[in-house]
Amino acid sequence: MDAQKTSGGQPPAETPPSDEPASVLRATWLGALWRYPRTARGWLVVPGALALFALLPAIYDQLFGFSSGFELHRVTLIGIFVLAAMAQNVLTGYAAQPSLGNAAFFGVGGYMLAWLTNDLNQPYWVGIAVAMLVSAVLGVIVGGPALRISGAYLAIATLGLVFLTGSLLNLWDTTAGRQSYDLNTLPMFLTDDHALYFTVLAIVSIVLFAMYHLLRSRVGRAWIAIRDSESAAAAFGVYVTRYKLLAFVVSAVLTGLSGALYATWASTATSSMSSPDQTIAFLTMIVIGGLGSIAGSVLGAVFVGFLPLLLGQLPSPLILGPVQIQISTLTTGVYGLLLLLALIFFPAGFSSLIERGRTMGRQLVQRGGQP
Amino acid sequence: MLAFLQVTLAGLVTGSLYGLLALGIVLVYRTTGVLNFAYGTIAAICACFMYILLTGPQLNFWLALVITLLFALLLGMILERGFARPVLEAPVFTKAIATLALALVLQTIAQQIWPQLASPVHFPTPFEGHAAHIGGIFFSLADATVLIVTILLMVTLNFFLTRTKLGIAMRATADGLSAARLMGVPVGRIFLLVWSLSALIAALAGVLLASEQTIIDIQFMDPVLLLAFVGAVLGGLDSLPGALVGGLLIGLADNLLALVLAGRSIGALNVSDPAIREAVIFGGFILVLLLRPQGLLGRAVLRRV
Repeated sequence: MDAQKTSGGQPPAETPPSDEPASVLRATWLGALWRYPRTARGWLVVPGALALFALLPAIYDQLFGFSSGFELHRVTLIGIFVLAAMAQNVLTGYAAQPSLGNAAFFGVGGYMLAWLTNDLNQPYWVGIAVAMLVSAVLGVIVGGPALRISGAYLAIATLGLVFLTGSLLNLWDTTAGRQSYDLNTLPMFLTDDHALYFTVLAIVSIVLFAMYHLLRSRVGRAWIAIRDSESAAAAFGVYVTRYKLLAFVVSAVLTGLSGALYATWASTATSSMSSPDQTIAFLTMIVIGGLGSIAGSVLGAVFVGFLPLLLGQLPSPLILGPVQIQISTLTTGVYGLLLLLALIFFPAGFSSLIERGRTMGRQLVQRGGQP
Repeated sequence: MLAFLQVTLAGLVTGSLYGLLALGIVLVYRTTGVLNFAYGTIAAICACFMYILLTGPQLNFWLALVITLLFALLLGMILERGFARPVLEAPVFTKAIATLALALVLQTIAQQIWPQLASPVHFPTPFEGHAAHIGGIFFSLADATVLIVTILLMVTLNFFLTRTKLGIAMRATADGLSAARLMGVPVGRIFLLVWSLSALIAALAGVLLASEQTIIDIQFMDPVLLLAFVGAVLGGLDSLPGALVGGLLIGLADNLLALVLAGRSIGALNVSDPAIREAVIFGGFILVLLLRPQGLLGRAVLRRV
């Protein structure tokens, strides 16, 4: 979305002349699309992953038979979490704002969609658009004051904000006399598990594509400069305040979208969407996946979303030779243990493995294949 | 007026408990840079351990307390060596998330060892049922214990940190890790000390809260922890007196707001709802942080370029 704005329009007047002649081509939409994967490997990996995800429903049909719809539904959730993880990563991994307030936008996005489609009888996509718009406005409202607070103080203050939002949403529910906000007027096709999966897949692909370019544009470079050294960035003419605020807004919009999709997925919005647990889940995703990395956001969401599913699939009691383990009572602990081990062994996240593998490969090539 | 005094007393008592927890959080954060989200679980485990001692082998309360405190010291050391040391060099966020994972693991282990604590149980104490009426104010023995223990702990800790060599070494480590190391402070042993001290405070807070509530389970600390964190940040994350002040303020605000808002409503909105009270507390907290970003008693962050 924002990538279109930054890479599509004419560069702003204050842009210094680029030393790269090819940047004119790169700055246009078509050029960006053409040059998207810069390497042969890129041409393989991205369409390969897309093809795999497009074929996943068929694979699931083979694997699970008539319960494949149910299983696919659970995988769809991971796609929704990828959006939220990407949003948290923009804010924390790129712009270095340790904000734990994203679950506030998550809940607001879901409730806005429910309110517009249920009570105001608006079409679904209008609901999504308004959810994102309201999140953007809230992003400015939260982001402005947040610029004054830093570090762990910001983290706990925004955690309090999530608590506050959750309480207010819960109050909305109780004054309206309901347990949670059910979405009764969803479009027919979104109630089908396969259609919902493909819709979420399409949205996630578009968002990741857009973020890939946004993060390589002027905006993304400004965020990274602020992260690496705020004073140096300011000295080089980066509007620190403006770009930090922009990070809050982009993050809020993406989280709002994610929350609206989550409400669609669950066909209800609950106040627990804005709970400290939820916001900490987002943070866990990017820390385990890797701060400041798109692949990290995806890997983290998969770890947090898929691992409990896998652990739930284990037979109970699990029989290892003479030992019988009642695994069903241990899943939380096992999940915690795996998370702990992953953090101890890969403190920079899973995405650091990709970089490490790439370096090792390059060294291997330089040495002519000799170990 | 009497109601006001009574509520202020209750606020001081819950505030002391928040303050004690905030103290332990700040202690570990200042020295090792770990935002310890597992702190509530540590406190709960110590209280549960004491419950087992009281109901299983039917130990005397004070003997059980001493054993529990020793257990807490040991637990703190194990956590430092087994958990905090491997992630010492990791970024602050990784450490914070790791403590969450640690909390999950500890809770699962405790649930496996003591399945009876998965549901609420009665925590027997000699304080229960004893109370005094002083000028119309109801003053229970458990309340008095909380206040006395908090004051004693603050005095002892203050003496330890300012007058003993070990305490000064601890503060030196918190102020500058490499400088302390160069001065010959055994930094590793200081970390060990900090974690066991913080676990000891957790155990005290856990047992005190258990004797206040008289009903515990393995997760009884979870709702308290967030408010303790808010107290710690409100007072300033690098200040020990600040932690206590922050905790006290949160406790007082919680109880006084409950009194002020009780039975009132604005239009159709019932403001005596606990959600409104929490909303007001968090709103005030954020407001204070906007005015003083480093907390009430914290030092302003020095930014070196």
